[in-house]
Amino acid sequence: MNSCDKCGNPNIIIKKKQSGQKLCKDCFIKSTQNKVLKDIRKYNLLEKGDNVLLGLSGGKDSVMLLDILNTLKKRNIIDLMAVTIDEGICGYREEGIEIAARNAKKLGVEHKVVTFKEYFGMTLDDIISKNNVKEGRRNACTYCGVFRRWIFNRVARDEGATKIATGHNLDDETQSIVMNYLEGNIQNLTRIGVKSETRSNRFTVKIKPLREIPEKEIALYVVARELDVHFAGCPYAGESFRAEVGNFIKELSKEHPTIMYSTLRGFDKMKPVLKREFSQESIVGVCENCGEPTVARLCKACTFLTDWENE
Amino acid sequence: MKIKLIIGEKEELIEISENKTVKNLLDIIDIASETVVVKKNDFIVIDEEIIEDGDLIEVIQVIYGG
Ligand SMILES: [Zn+2]
Ligand SMILES: [Zn+2]
Repeated sequence: MNSCDKCGNPNIIIKKKQSGQKLCKDCFIKSTQNKVLKDIRKYNLLEKGDNVLLGLSGGKDSVMLLDILNTLKKRNIIDLMAVTIDEGICGYREEGIEIAARNAKKLGVEHKVVTFKEYFGMTLDDIISKNNVKEGRRNACTYCGVFRRWIFNRVARDEGATKIATGHNLDDETQSIVMNYLEGNIQNLTRIGVKSETRSNRFTVKIKPLREIPEKEIALYVVARELDVHFAGCPYAGESFRAEVGNFIKELSKEHPTIMYSTLRGFDKMKPVLKREFSQESIVGVCENCGEPTVARLCKACTFLTDWENE
Repeated sequence: MKIKLIIGEKEELIEISENKTVKNLLDIIDIASETVVVKKNDFIVIDEEIIEDGDLIEVIQVIYGG
């Protein structure tokens, strides 16, 4: 007989494959919130008085994180502000922005929308169409990632934020680990973690409070909490190497439900060694063009932009 | 028996045999259960929930990509 392991309610909404735990709606919501808050304490992600900038796309991960971080704001532990990046992905991003705005407004959280266009003079759609189509689509996530990181860091500094919080989940993080390993990007591996280590005071510390929550549980959480969420996939994501790796891991997880946890745990154990052996402690300067921190003459965003100008 | 099935904007009455679970239904309509949350008569249910005559089944696509 199925009933909630915590309260005995016969209406369960999840039977966790990895642990066998069965939970009703209320106990699932409570236990998920507690897990995230526990991780925030355990990994020391937030301190009292932090001014947190949340990347709010309107998707399930960031909407869930807003819901949970807002409880800390209400208890006057942190200040919270949300920023939505409009990359300029026609037919996809518009709805996410509206949903992000509605969520922030409902909770009374300050919200700002910033665009690729205003900072870089072009949208992600422009960037992709500038490139050879196949090549451009394949690299969409790379360009998008570089420009998003640039904007987050700039906005965080402008707003006086002390932490940048993003909704990366267990699936995302496991994908990053396996993907970078398969590609031999050991440098990138040394930078994966629940909290970034600052190499420059011009970089704002980034935290990932949902890093140990599986994507499926985040989806269940937002449906159970009846949150307003943009359920849609980015039109460029499907063709990325990341998506291929993601599908591969999801497929494996069907028969091996603990595989994402073990990948993450194993990686976190190896990471200090990786850092010690492979982390390049280069001196961080500032980009000649935009003033953002970088180890090279130009930051990655400016490198792409000047390459395209010179074409 | 007949049930009402809602997937996104699409709503239809379909015929299925007795004693099918939510998982059986998802297999029939070829949707991966890992990518959806299913509600039966407005309540979230797990894969092994039995579907009964006249049930309203809503399939919410929650995971994209791939
Ligand atoms: Zn319960
Ligand atoms: Zn620059």
